[in-house]
Amino acid sequence: MNRDVLIWCLGAVAVIAVAAVVALVARNRALGARRRQFETESAQRLAEAESRLSAALSDLQKFRAEQDDALRDAERTAEESTKAVLKGAVRFLQSLAAEQTTLLDGIQRKHGGHAVLSDLLDVNHATAQMARKAQGIAVMCGAPLSRRSQPASVFDVVRNAQGQIRNFNRVQIMQQSGIALKASAVSPVALAVAELLDNAASFSQHDAPIEVTFQRVQKNLCIVIDDAGVGMNDEDRQKATVLLSGNAAPRLSQLGAQPKFGLPVVGLIARQYGFKVDVTGVSRYGGVRAVVLLPEELWTMEETPQAPAQEAPVRRIRHIPTREDEPESRTVHGLPKRGERQSPTASVTDTGSSTGGNTRPFKKARGVGGLAAIQRGTMSGRAAEAPSSEGTEDA
Amino acid sequence: MSDGTDEELELTSPLVPLFVITNGRGLPSDHEYEHTALVMAHDSGSSAATRALSPEARKVMDLIADGFLSVAEVSGHTHLPLGIVRILLAQLEEDGLILVRKPIPRVERAERELLSAVLDGLRTKFGA
Repeated sequence: MNRDVLIWCLGAVAVIAVAAVVALVARNRALGARRRQFETESAQRLAEAESRLSAALSDLQKFRAEQDDALRDAERTAEESTKAVLKGAVRFLQSLAAEQTTLLDGIQRKHGGHAVLSDLLDVNHATAQMARKAQGIAVMCGAPLSRRSQPASVFDVVRNAQGQIRNFNRVQIMQQSGIALKASAVSPVALAVAELLDNAASFSQHDAPIEVTFQRVQKNLCIVIDDAGVGMNDEDRQKATVLLSGNAAPRLSQLGAQPKFGLPVVGLIARQYGFKVDVTGVSRYGGVRAVVLLPEELWTMEETPQAPAQEAPVRRIRHIPTREDEPESRTVHGLPKRGERQSPTASVTDTGSSTGGNTRPFKKARGVGGLAAIQRGTMSGRAAEAPSSEGTEDA
Repeated sequence: MSDGTDEELELTSPLVPLFVITNGRGLPSDHEYEHTALVMAHDSGSSAATRALSPEARKVMDLIADGFLSVAEVSGHTHLPLGIVRILLAQLEEDGLILVRKPIPRVERAERELLSAVLDGLRTKFGA
C-alpha cells in the first residue's frame, strides 16, 4: 500500500518534472528565436547606420576638399593679385632707379671737379642699394629684371654687385681678365652676387673682409664668395639649399613684416637663367663659402670690347718714346727732356665726336696741326739759337 | 599697362659706378692734386702692387708711366671725372707708386716787389 503511494508520488513527481522540463525547453526556444530575431534586426539597423555614417563622412570629405580648393584658390588669387599690384609698382621703382642712376652718373661727370662729388658718390651708392631691392622685389613677383645690352667682364659684373651692398669696401675682388659674361647674364648674375655679398656682409663682423675669387672648373666658371662670419649649422644649410634650388619659393604673404628674400631671389633667378648657387661650403676663414656656378652658355673667354672709341685717341695722341728707343731724350742727370712731339698733342677728344663721322676728326686734326706747328717752330727756333738749357747730348 | 609690365627695362648707366672705382675713398683736400699738378709713375713701384690695382688705376699708371702729365690731362684721357682721378691719385701716392709735382703757388709766381725792383733798376739804367 505504502509502495503504491510511493510509486504514485514518484510518478506524479516525474510527470511534473517532465512537464517542467518541457515547459523550460519551450521557453528557451522561444527566447532563442526572439534573440535571433532581435540580432538580425539590430545588425540590419547597424548596417543602415553605418552606411548613413559613411555617406555623411564622404559628404564631409567632399566639403572639406571643396573648402580646401576654395581656400587654395583664394590664396592663389590673392597671391596673384598682390603680385600683379607689386609688379606694376616695382616696374615704376625699377625705371625710376635706373633713371636716377643714369642722371647721377651724368651729374658726377659734369661736376667731377667740384667738392660736391663726394656727396654725389654717396647718393649714387644709396641709389644702387635701392635698385637692388627693386630688382629683388621684381624677381619675387615674377616681373622681368632690368637688363643690360652689352656683355661685360666678370670682374666688372662683380664690381657692379659690390656697389649694391652697404659696406661695399669690405669686398676684395681678385683680378680677372679675359672672361666675359654674355649680355643676358650680366644683370641676373650681378643681382645674385649682390644678394650673396649682402648676406656675407650681414652675417659677419662689420670690418671683416669678404673675398671674391674666380675659378674655372671644367666648363663652368665659379664665382666664389668667402666671408669670415659665423657660418651656418646643418639646419640652416638645408633650408638655404631648398631656397636656392628655386623650387620652393616662399609666397609673398609668408615673408612677414621684415621680409628676407635674399636667398629666395637668388634661387629664383638662378633657376630662371640657368646657373647654380651653393652656400654649403666653408670659407677659408671658417665662415660661409658661396659659389655661383655659371655654365658655359653664360660666359665666353673673349676679351670684352673695352669701348675702342675711347682707347684709340689716347694711344694715337700720346706716343711717348721709351728710354730704350731714344736714350738722348733724357739729360745726363737722368731727367726727362722736352722734345718735339711725335704727333700733335690734341686736346682730348670727347667720346661723342670720336665715334662720329669722318669729317669732324679731320677738321679737329687740322686745328691741332696748326698749334703743333707753332710749337715745332718755337722749339726749332730755340734749338737753333742757344744750346739746350736742359743739357747737351754729348756732355 | 598690362602689355608694358613685361617689357624689359634697359639699364644705360655704366656697369661699374664711380663710387666703386674709388672704393668709397673721399676726395683729397682742395690744394692736393690740383688740375695743374704733375704726376708720374714711380720707377721703383713694385710690380706686385701695380698688379693689384683696379683697371682704372692701372690705366692712370699706364698714362703716366713715361713722364709727367697734368692731373687734368689724366682726367681727360681716362674719361674719368677730375675728382675721381684725384681720389685715385691720392691712393696711388699713398701706395708709393707715383711722384707728384705740385704746381707753383700763385703767390710765389708773382713777386711784385722783386719785379718792381727789377723795373726800377731798368728804368735807372736805361732812363725810360
